[in-house]
Amino acid sequence: MAGRGKPGGRIGSVQISQELVVIAISVILFAVFSATLNNFLSQGNVIAILKNVSILGTLAVGMGFIVVGRGIDLTMVAVMVVGVAFSIWVSSWGVDFTLAVICGALLAAAIGLFTGIMVAVAEIPPIFATLAIASSVYGSGRIVFASDVLYAPPNIAWLKFVGNGSVFGIPMSVVMFACVAALMAFFLRKTRFGRLVYATGDNPNAARTTGLPTRPIIVTQYVISALIAFTAGIIMTGLVTGIDTRLYNSSLIYDVLLVVVLGGIGLSGGQGGVRNVIAGTILVGILTNGMTILNFSYTSQNLIKSVILLSALAIDAIINPRDEQTSQSGDI
Amino acid sequence: MLFKNGLLACLTALTLLGGAKLATAQETDQVGRAAYLEAVKGKKVIFVPISQGMDLNQAWVTVWQRHAARYGFTLEVRDPNGDTNAGIRAMQGAIAEKPDLIIVQNPDVQTYARLLKQAQASGIKVLQVNMQSATQTDSYVGNDWIEMGRLEMGELAKHCTGPNAVSHKVVWLAGVQTGAANIYMRTGIDEVLKANPELQLVSDQPADYMSEKARQITETVLQQHPDLCGIMGIWDNAEVGAGAAVAAAGKQDQVTIVTNGAGSATGCESIKNGLLDVIFNFNAPIQGEIAAQQISELLQRPERQAGSEKTIFFGPITRVDKDNAVGRNCWKLDDLK
Repeated sequence: MAGRGKPGGRIGSVQISQELVVIAISVILFAVFSATLNNFLSQGNVIAILKNVSILGTLAVGMGFIVVGRGIDLTMVAVMVVGVAFSIWVSSWGVDFTLAVICGALLAAAIGLFTGIMVAVAEIPPIFATLAIASSVYGSGRIVFASDVLYAPPNIAWLKFVGNGSVFGIPMSVVMFACVAALMAFFLRKTRFGRLVYATGDNPNAARTTGLPTRPIIVTQYVISALIAFTAGIIMTGLVTGIDTRLYNSSLIYDVLLVVVLGGIGLSGGQGGVRNVIAGTILVGILTNGMTILNFSYTSQNLIKSVILLSALAIDAIINPRDEQTSQSGDI
Repeated sequence: MLFKNGLLACLTALTLLGGAKLATAQETDQVGRAAYLEAVKGKKVIFVPISQGMDLNQAWVTVWQRHAARYGFTLEVRDPNGDTNAGIRAMQGAIAEKPDLIIVQNPDVQTYARLLKQAQASGIKVLQVNMQSATQTDSYVGNDWIEMGRLEMGELAKHCTGPNAVSHKVVWLAGVQTGAANIYMRTGIDEVLKANPELQLVSDQPADYMSEKARQITETVLQQHPDLCGIMGIWDNAEVGAGAAVAAAGKQDQVTIVTNGAGSATGCESIKNGLLDVIFNFNAPIQGEIAAQQISELLQRPERQAGSEKTIFFGPITRVDKDNAVGRNCWKLDDLK
């Protein structure tokens, strides 16, 4: 099944996968909101939806990449905030900001490398390894930076362009998300390395027995996801002129994981791709946007979000019941 | 002869000097200082904040540490870093240690309510700073949040009522809905809304003190209400996100953004960058000094039973815009040390 979403039931000749269920719910919600809310269908609002999920989506592409290889990366938000905060901190000594950003990217890559080694070589289960590393990364950052909120130096032209610029009317943040997603899709589908990631995720032991370099593959995956997390942090800094390290304490990392699972990438690995991530991201985007327009309270927003997400998973479970054939070892 | 005269001169000089020294010692023993030093020396104060990563907290602690070092009491900060459960543990630990005073910044009105009662019952005095609990204790030093709500919505009322207003639509970007600041500001906001019925509150959602969340809400609301007139928030470091969304929409001249803040230089920068229009500055260093006065009062009166007298001190609130975003309205942490 490599490269496709979870196997699905059939209605007529159409294969119903979880991805399709999510897309269907998105379409229904979009139609309902368009019919009932003023300006929902406007070009500006559609762009706002995309812009508001660009960070979530970028992170989810990185997470999806890891989950396909049967891993999980809970360090992403920590790497994002600490990597960018480190860049800003370095630039506060008078170092050129662009150079400082390169330093931050190197730090992020180094953390990714360490995580990868812990998972691939030390063979610590990724959920525990990344949970512990996330906490250490954030904790170290918290000691070094003193403040939670760090502001990028003003008047950095390229950073302003990331925040406010647009290409053919599409905001840069959305363009960057699209680029990360497109590169990842190409990487997963068209390169040999991408196929090896699926093979490793589908059955790590078999992959290793057949002579695939599973350890270097896993290490590389974590380095790439750390760099994607750093990119998401740069998008955020461009958008709001600074980075708030308290994001680590928020539910963002679970939202990211949710988008990935919701879109149909099974936690058991070896399945799904970037398309699934985009499906999940767009559903969350439409839902949040509609509820913000409706001025629902925070509590009811969370409630409605959970109910819709749970029903997407439930519908999938009904259409595609798990059995011995479809379930894999290692499925969480 | 020369030796004898010299010796005499030296003796005279020494006598005079000695006398002078004695006189100085008597005259400059500042009234009550010795007793004050005696009262606060070696006393133990524990501070349980929401998070020390916030500018206001850093200002307070810098001020208190200066007092503690100068007058010989100890100040320990138990930082739960925004985690309520860790905060409860920190409070329980602090109560078990029986310090002379606990200073607390409440994450919301309920979480520590019972613990604060417990602390007072076991004889520990409690000073609450800026964020109150449902339990009133010996002292509260911080903002008059109802007044803050009135001031901020009042500022929007100035811009968004009358014939020249672009519209009467305003937004309230709340913080955390169960937080004291949020609850009381809402009371003040409602008063202004009642007095100005034409004002239309089109969105009322918490941004959770996060700039990106504030940006997302503002971006969506601006699509829905392109003629939006004003936004009010709860913390300058979060509302920069709202400012970024307004700037991205090119509506900086149309939308007035009002918020409050500790008065740090970053807030002034945000005003200068055009991300914010008005900050009601509650000057955290001055708040810290008022609290330090309360610390010394509570430590000086050990005979007073915990919770027997309850006092409230509201700090100053200064309206800061681009004309006065200078000097003491824009402190840096290094200036306070």
